[in-house]
Amino acid sequence: MPRRNALPDPEVERGLRELEAALAHEPGADPDLATLVADVEAVRPEPDASFLAALDARVHAGFASERAAATPKRGGSWRARLRQSPLLLPGLGAAVAAGLIVVVVALPGSTTSGGGDSASSSSSSRPTTIAPLTGSGVRGGDPTIGSAPAAPGSGATSSADAAETAPSTSSSSQSAAKSAPLPAPTTAGPRKVERSAALTLTPAPADVQDTADGVVRETQAAGGYVQRSHVTTQDTRGTAEFTLRIPSAHLDDALQGLSKLAHVGGLTQASTDITATAASAADRLDDARAERRALLQALGRATTDRQIASLKARLADNRDEIAARQSALNSVRRRADLATVEVTVQGTGRPAAHGGGAWTPGDALHDAGRVLEVAGGVAVIALAVLGPLAILALLAWFAARTLRRRRRETALDRAA
Amino acid sequence: MEISTSEPSTARFDALYREAASDVFAYALTLLRDRAAAEDVTAAAFERAYRRQGSFDPRRGTQRAWLFGIARNAALDELRLRRRSAALLADPEDVTAGERAADAADHDDAALRRATVSAALAQLDPRERELISLKFHAGLSNAEIAKVLGVSETNAGTRVHRAVTRLRKACHAPS
Repeated sequence: MPRRNALPDPEVERGLRELEAALAHEPGADPDLATLVADVEAVRPEPDASFLAALDARVHAGFASERAAATPKRGGSWRARLRQSPLLLPGLGAAVAAGLIVVVVALPGSTTSGGGDSASSSSSSRPTTIAPLTGSGVRGGDPTIGSAPAAPGSGATSSADAAETAPSTSSSSQSAAKSAPLPAPTTAGPRKVERSAALTLTPAPADVQDTADGVVRETQAAGGYVQRSHVTTQDTRGTAEFTLRIPSAHLDDALQGLSKLAHVGGLTQASTDITATAASAADRLDDARAERRALLQALGRATTDRQIASLKARLADNRDEIAARQSALNSVRRRADLATVEVTVQGTGRPAAHGGGAWTPGDALHDAGRVLEVAGGVAVIALAVLGPLAILALLAWFAARTLRRRRRETALDRAA
Repeated sequence: MEISTSEPSTARFDALYREAASDVFAYALTLLRDRAAAEDVTAAAFERAYRRQGSFDPRRGTQRAWLFGIARNAALDELRLRRRSAALLADPEDVTAGERAADAADHDDAALRRATVSAALAQLDPRERELISLKFHAGLSNAEIAKVLGVSETNAGTRVHRAVTRLRKACHAPS
């Protein structure tokens, strides 16, 4: 540490000049001081020749084999050093603690954020498998001829309207979709259930077209058809939207196939009991047909031209009514027979592990950037932990140094 | 003699050792007043210096100042750890002074003066004795003494002047 040099006292300066002259044995030096210098030099203690010879040997040997013997008797061992420097022990403890923290921080998956990222990425890179619906009356047969027994406590075939106004909906992420089958509608007889689903796939931007083609293939394989489609592909991103009509009996298999095409960003399934609506439409059709039969019988019994013309007009109206009601009934049946699946393909995800294509230089750059991000994060965390420890260690070192110096000076004073 | 730092480290250290071994011993003995302890400290100082050659920075002072700083720390550590310096105040050096006093009995003026100087040195306090040793025995400049003691050069010069003044007074004081 540099120390400030104040201006010396003139008398001191003169005295020092005289002393330097005497020490240099200059002819003009103060005779008294020159004598003192000579006398002090004469009483200078000299080492023994044997000691000098031994020290010569050690110096020429480079102190190689005598390190322990050459160090001061009580300063050589690590225990003695610890006794000499009481702050050395906490310093060592701090250093060990810092090392442990670094190890813990550096361990993969040991941080909360890292673990979360890891879990998220692993699940997102895995293709989703949709579990088949287990609700009876919906799976494995014509959903329009459901045979589920009545739930305990529910009225047989009653409250069809209530069932119709209480659709069951399942909205889940991919993992939830695996283990959350749709609850079976509580019915006591042949039920008609309208099913729908909305599926979001998030492949890599370059895979949008392939995924869209896969959607069409899976739909045709399930016996369905594409009711509406809109595909947009660009260099950096692409989107596709589909409205699929898939036989309800094959909906579960179709969803499984679709979910394997890319990462599933979301899946929503819904089912609505439309038994009452179908029964109502059938009843109304039966009524119209019964009316037609009655009109035909009345026409056979008509005798006047006016009666005949009136009945024919009513028959014509009845024919239109039957056609309309038949159409309504068919519509209801189609709603039960064909599930509606809305598929949205968004090219925002990462390449799928199974279909991401070759590992390109772009992928390498992306991975390298990711590695640098992680390394930078670890470095920041380590700095945040080690910075305060380093400051503490520095303060401890400075305090130990100051304390040691003071003890040395005190030892010199006590030697008086 | 100032050692060139461009020399190989072994040769440079060897030259430093040859030049300063006796001076370091004299300095250590002045502080410790125990010949065996002074020999131990001298050896320890040179070993520490040998091991720490890389820590010497020519910009922070001469190699002699660096070496005497190491020797001073080793001597003070020895003093602190042994805690027996008080018991040694009247040991070997007093014997030597006694011998010189016997010489004085032979009416040798030079021997008489030296006995007086030895007695005067023994009257000084350890810090003043240390300064006399560094200045007269080791031949350090005031700047080098300042580096050894960790004080400013002006302060070191003032202390040296004060110590010499006290020594001269002690020499002229009636016994």
